[in-house]
Amino acid sequence: MSHKRSHRQLQGDEWQVYALMLPAAILILIFSYLPMWGVILAFQNYRAGNPLFSLIGVDWVGLRWLKQFVESIYFGRILRNTIRLSLLNLVFGFTAPIAFALMLNEVRNLRYKKFVQTASYLPYFVSTVVVAGIVLSFVDMNGLLNNLLAFFGAQRVEWIVHPRYFPAIYTVTNVWKGFGFGSILYFSTISSIDPTMYEAARIDGANRAQQLWHITLPNLMFIIAVQLIMQVGSILNTNRDLILLLYRPSTYETADVIGTYVYRMGIEGGKYSYSAAVSLFMSLFGVTLTIVCNRISNKLTGYGLW
Amino acid sequence: MNFAGTHRNSIREGSRIADGAIYAAALLIAFVTLYPMYYVLILSLSAPEYASTMQVYWLPKGFYLGGYQKIFGDIRLWTSYRNTIFYALCETVGMLFTCSTFAYALSYKKLRCRKLVNAFLLIPMYFSGGVIPLFLQMMRMGLYNTVWALILPGAYSIWNIILMKAYFGTISEALRESARIDGANHFQTLLYVILPVAKPIIAVIALYTIVGVWNSWFNAALYLADQNIQPLQLYLRRVLVTSEIDLVVDLTTAEEIRAAQANLLSDSQLKYTVIIVASLPMLLAYPFFQKYFVKGVMLGSLKE
Repeated sequence: MSHKRSHRQLQGDEWQVYALMLPAAILILIFSYLPMWGVILAFQNYRAGNPLFSLIGVDWVGLRWLKQFVESIYFGRILRNTIRLSLLNLVFGFTAPIAFALMLNEVRNLRYKKFVQTASYLPYFVSTVVVAGIVLSFVDMNGLLNNLLAFFGAQRVEWIVHPRYFPAIYTVTNVWKGFGFGSILYFSTISSIDPTMYEAARIDGANRAQQLWHITLPNLMFIIAVQLIMQVGSILNTNRDLILLLYRPSTYETADVIGTYVYRMGIEGGKYSYSAAVSLFMSLFGVTLTIVCNRISNKLTGYGLW
Repeated sequence: MNFAGTHRNSIREGSRIADGAIYAAALLIAFVTLYPMYYVLILSLSAPEYASTMQVYWLPKGFYLGGYQKIFGDIRLWTSYRNTIFYALCETVGMLFTCSTFAYALSYKKLRCRKLVNAFLLIPMYFSGGVIPLFLQMMRMGLYNTVWALILPGAYSIWNIILMKAYFGTISEALRESARIDGANHFQTLLYVILPVAKPIIAVIALYTIVGVWNSWFNAALYLADQNIQPLQLYLRRVLVTSEIDLVVDLTTAEEIRAAQANLLSDSQLKYTVIIVASLPMLLAYPFFQKYFVKGVMLGSLKE
């Protein structure tokens, strides 16, 4: 009888269940869905005072902004920078937590292990602004890095103003901030491996490296694959909040990415429609990429996000 | 031969040399993560002339507390500190409220249109309107430059709803059923039956929200122009990144400006002091809460 009920009135206090959905649902509608509709800005020539998110009474321009962006010198530069910084993060930021977890797993002294683990989480709890502040003062002309160089007789370098050092500064900072926290997932997975597998391997005469290679790594493969898909799929998402704090006009050449460009053009420059178009184009590209990666991964490994 | 230790997965055989190398590498990593903050700490305690050229390496040089003295007198730091605590409190309470209510509905077995509700949650996880539409919307709604611009979008998270729902799913159905049979309505069931046994997930979500609010700056930079309602991270950004040392001194007369310039040396050290004052609560607290963060990561991975 209960399955028939679904087309009838709500029973007793059942309305409360739906009432409980309201607070979150209203916020999601206003702050997640309404801005999605708002991307129609990208096809209008919006100026302050125009009707917002409206279909009528606005100046429709079609794909003008998109065309303007693709034909500008920024298109290639921003795409290149975004992909370069993401790839660097993929190569170092993705592998560092795995390597760290595998290495620390070999430490037998539990208290020592716990200490190193706790220490590695510290950067996660330091805010991006503080991290950027520390980096800026470390790479300063009178900073620690240049003091070290000077100590070894080398020239001081203005690291932060040269475009060619930016990718390295960004990557090191990102890896430093994230590797410890990123390793939690791998630690937990390793600790859930059945210990009898190691016992059996030892009885068969496997040494530590062999146990790592034949037992630990295969057991991590699933979680590594899932993480990799997510990372590749989000290759257009760079750490905008960090770049905004570290870059400057002299390093735009290598540091300017989609997020920072949209922020500069839109929020600082007031070119709302143009930057909304850039942002929309890139996010469509990003969603496509996620879908493609997921397809490929489903085919190759049988694992996927959906 | 090593059966005593086999309850753990750490591998017992191997040469002493490999062990030594691993211990040394682990020590190096701990050093790399801890030293920058330690370095900032000793700079904040050193005399300004050494701190400004970073001539300090292991221990404070010319022990000096003047930086802290100055900072403690800076009303703007404390205003932004208070604001951050206010935002953290509001967003955490809001987050727990919206997530637990929605998650309760999701875990209701006879929920109608479940597919629609799931799609409603999933779509925003893949698509977003981006910064610009939301920014203009905030302006148009009159939320720009009000505390609501941070609190309202910060008071929900689809990811946390899904985490909470996953946890509610592990709570025995019998518990809920017996409450219902005893005559509890849905509000009462959530409040008196489900929430008391969901304390671990509440702790996880609360801690993630607090850390997130404490450390974020971008949304505040977008929406809050008024320094009186700006959070700590924007104060930090002014001091650390755009290098405005922002003590409350009125630079009106020429003498005052000259005096301020003379202070420049000691002011350049202030940023290290500010970092310590702003980061200390988080750094002291996180070792005690790390088990909750670990739990959060694990719950999240199960949903992937």
